Amino acid sequence: MSDITLPRNNIKITTGALVCEDSKLRGDITIGKDTIVHPMATIIAESAPIIIGENCLIEEQAKIVYRVPFDRVEDKDNIPPLIIGSFNVFEVGCHVEAAKIGDSNVFESKCFVGNKVSVSNGCTIGAGCQLTNEQELKENIIVYGEKCQMREGLSKPLPQYSQMETLMKILPSYHHIKKPTQKTK
Amino acid sequence: MELQDSYYDKSDYVETASGNKVCRRTVLCGSQNIILQGKVIVQAEAIIRGDLANVRTGRYCIISKEAVIRPPYKKFSKGVAFFPLNMGDHVYIGEKSVVSAAVIGNYVYIGKNCVIGRRCELKDCCVIEDNTILSPETVVPPFSRFGGSPGTQIGTLPEVQADIMVDYTRSYYQHFQPNKIIL
Repeated sequence: MSDITLPRNNIKITTGALVCEDSKLRGDITIGKDTIVHPMATIIAESAPIIIGENCLIEEQAKIVYRVPFDRVEDKDNIPPLIIGSFNVFEVGCHVEAAKIGDSNVFESKCFVGNKVSVSNGCTIGAGCQLTNEQELKENIIVYGEKCQMREGLSKPLPQYSQMETLMKILPSYHHIKKPTQKTK
Repeated sequence: MELQDSYYDKSDYVETASGNKVCRRTVLCGSQNIILQGKVIVQAEAIIRGDLANVRTGRYCIISKEAVIRPPYKKFSKGVAFFPLNMGDHVYIGEKSVVSAAVIGNYVYIGKNCVIGRRCELKDCCVIEDNTILSPETVVPPFSRFGGSPGTQIGTLPEVQADIMVDYTRSYYQHFQPNKIIL
């Protein structure tokens, strides 16, 4: 187990993923196929490994932090890894500490998701919304507005295939890319 | 009203021939696509994403700490295209704001912690208050004051707004001085 104060850097990047050199990755992190990590994005696996799925988009200033879950403070040695599903979008300046993240979620700019929240699939957390109370977001929930109102969406947010395709073309010509360390299974 | 002098560390900033003052700790991606027209201040840890599309500012623009300037994208039936971001003269962008507008006019004031959604159009002489979230493709008319989440019009501005912004950005630039080393 890695030490909590100074986690050992162990970054695994699957072939096909695009991770910019300027991003800040700390701890044990696995990045899945076709995921894009913009420069200046921060991913910190403080307590346990983070495993990011396929086709995720992590923009600049986005912060994904995995701390010791609030209900596991006594038992620090057996913390399960944070598994982030596929097709998630983390927009500019979002701060996510959620304990569970499913598939096809969108975290818009400047939203904050605390460590007591677990996010299922297809949720959208609107720009500037702050979720700190202990709760579980059901499927396709949309959080919006000043008072963080919630409603159920009709469908999941569409995956951003076309944007990611464009980024896959543009980013390598401007940034240093971290080399993949793992072959696709 | 006279602004107070604000000091910066001389070794931390680069001053160009046209009077731009750019902090060394900013992140300018694709710097060949960024045009700063002159007398522009870009403060520490601001991010300008010139790699996505061209970014062009006018004269006397102030981009505060940790602001993000990010050209917007638009979806077409054949993929996505990023659009250039044009900014007018005398524009102030507050700390930690994320700007993804298509057009920003002249004499625009954007407060702290704002999110300007994709392809918004900010016309000349408008004010966006602190902590405003503008939803994508909002058009902000001239002489209006926007606030809230999602941002709506909450007031109007006097006709002298242009002069106020000229004075404000000019004096901000003049009072942005290197540290005098006291020995």
